[in-house]
Amino acid sequence: MYETKYQRASNVEDAAKMLAATDDGKFISGGQTLIPTMKQRLAAPSDLIDVRNIDAMKGIAVDGSNVSIGAAATHAEVANSNDVHKACPALCDLAGMIGDPHVRHMGTIGGSIANNDPAADYPAAMIALNAQITTSKRTIGADDFFTDLFETALEEDEIVTSITFQAPSKAAYAKFPNPASRYAMAGVFVAQVEDGAARVGVTGAGSSGVFRHGEMEAALSKDWSEAAIKNCKVDEAAMLSDLHGNAAYRANLVKVMAKRAVAAAG
Amino acid sequence: MIIPGLNCDNEYCMDISGEHLIEADREHVWKLLNDPDVLKKCIPGCESLEQNSPDTFRAKVVLKIGPMKASFNGDVELKDKVFPSSYRISGEGKGGIAGFASGDAAVNLVEENGGTRLVYEADAKLGGKIAQLGSRLVQSSSTKLAKQFFDTFCEIASQEATV
Ligand SMILES: Cc1cc2nc3c(=O)[nH]c(=O)nc-3n(C[C@H](O)[C@H](O)[C@H](O)COP(=O)(O)OP(=O)(O)OC[C@H]3O[C@@H](n4cnc5c(N)ncnc54)[C@H](O)[C@@H]3O)c2cc1C
Repeated sequence: MYETKYQRASNVEDAAKMLAATDDGKFISGGQTLIPTMKQRLAAPSDLIDVRNIDAMKGIAVDGSNVSIGAAATHAEVANSNDVHKACPALCDLAGMIGDPHVRHMGTIGGSIANNDPAADYPAAMIALNAQITTSKRTIGADDFFTDLFETALEEDEIVTSITFQAPSKAAYAKFPNPASRYAMAGVFVAQVEDGAARVGVTGAGSSGVFRHGEMEAALSKDWSEAAIKNCKVDEAAMLSDLHGNAAYRANLVKVMAKRAVAAAG
Repeated sequence: MIIPGLNCDNEYCMDISGEHLIEADREHVWKLLNDPDVLKKCIPGCESLEQNSPDTFRAKVVLKIGPMKASFNGDVELKDKVFPSSYRISGEGKGGIAGFASGDAAVNLVEENGGTRLVYEADAKLGGKIAQLGSRLVQSSSTKLAKQFFDTFCEIASQEATV
């Protein structure tokens, strides 16, 4: 690791100012992606601005069907939250499946969505739940937030502060984890939102990162059952292909995970 | 550490191909393909491109893949030129500890309905640490970079044509 300067911000405005004053600085939350990259010397930010201790970014609040999760909430906090469990148990399941206990106690939801790794779990839930992502500058709908592999609508100096969504009437997440890293080879989050409309978020598999599966959404909106998506097609041409699995394998996995998720949601 | 799927030199290779229809005549597209200012705009992350000879350039490229950010110094060369229909563009760069990156693309221009069809076949290689750590994402990222080069090029070429 190259030398870097660590600073801790106490509020969102200061964090942005601190970053602006650096040469080539970066925000850091749980460090579960950024620190390993720096250890490999594949990134060398001059400064790290820690945003985890900003009060406005902490905690989880559930008010009726409104769920609001601070960007600095760790995966373990989400997995173990009774409030989230009442509103959307599928999100607790998802958070509990991320990496290992170390990663879950350090990594944050804000860091995960800002990073938008094509195999990360949260992005699938965010688009399936039609979550609103609030930043230091604005609120962005999940559909517009995740733009491409590792790319989001965030500007360099923009901080994710919280995530809000309406509790779905039912939802579930099914993931086929890579046996070594636990990242998703394919992960599908299905949710039934307002007026019975279904939303299906797919991660781990798409060559442009997380995406919604329109055909499955239409089928599930009419009939929420495994049988309803039996004949849906997953486009191989839009799948990732790498040494862990080729496009055809992933396309099949997406279908299998979607069926499992629908069955689990009941 | 060698990850399965990498070859014995710790390189990760991939083939990428595609085509675009450009609304501009072939000689014009050819001219742009040889214009260093245009090339600089098309090479993703290119910070500088200096011409050493008519067909060779010195480049500095900052490659950003997710949390990784590495700067590469390298050479870009235009080879096998057949005016105004085909050439190869190849580049090779070293990114210090991050490893190396190289890319080679055969570009063909075919006249079609007053426009020009650009067909490319590229292969990209990443080696060293960046490939080891990133093997999970190297292929998709390289495909994206090659696409970005040609998408930007075609955008520029079509724009220029309409002015
Ligand atoms: C062994 C291992 C296994 C893992 N397995 C999984 C898995 O199965 N599923 C999964 O989804 N993830 C997995 N992860 C990733 C993990 O969830 C990370 O915690 C997460 O991707 C990044 O969150 P972080 O808080 O650690 O972010 P950091 O590493 O601190 O930051 C990541 C990036 O986001 C930026 N950033 C951080 N916070 C903010 C913010 N609030 N606003 C704007 N930008 C910000 C940083 O500048 C940096 O670019 C794994 C990681 C490891 C090391």
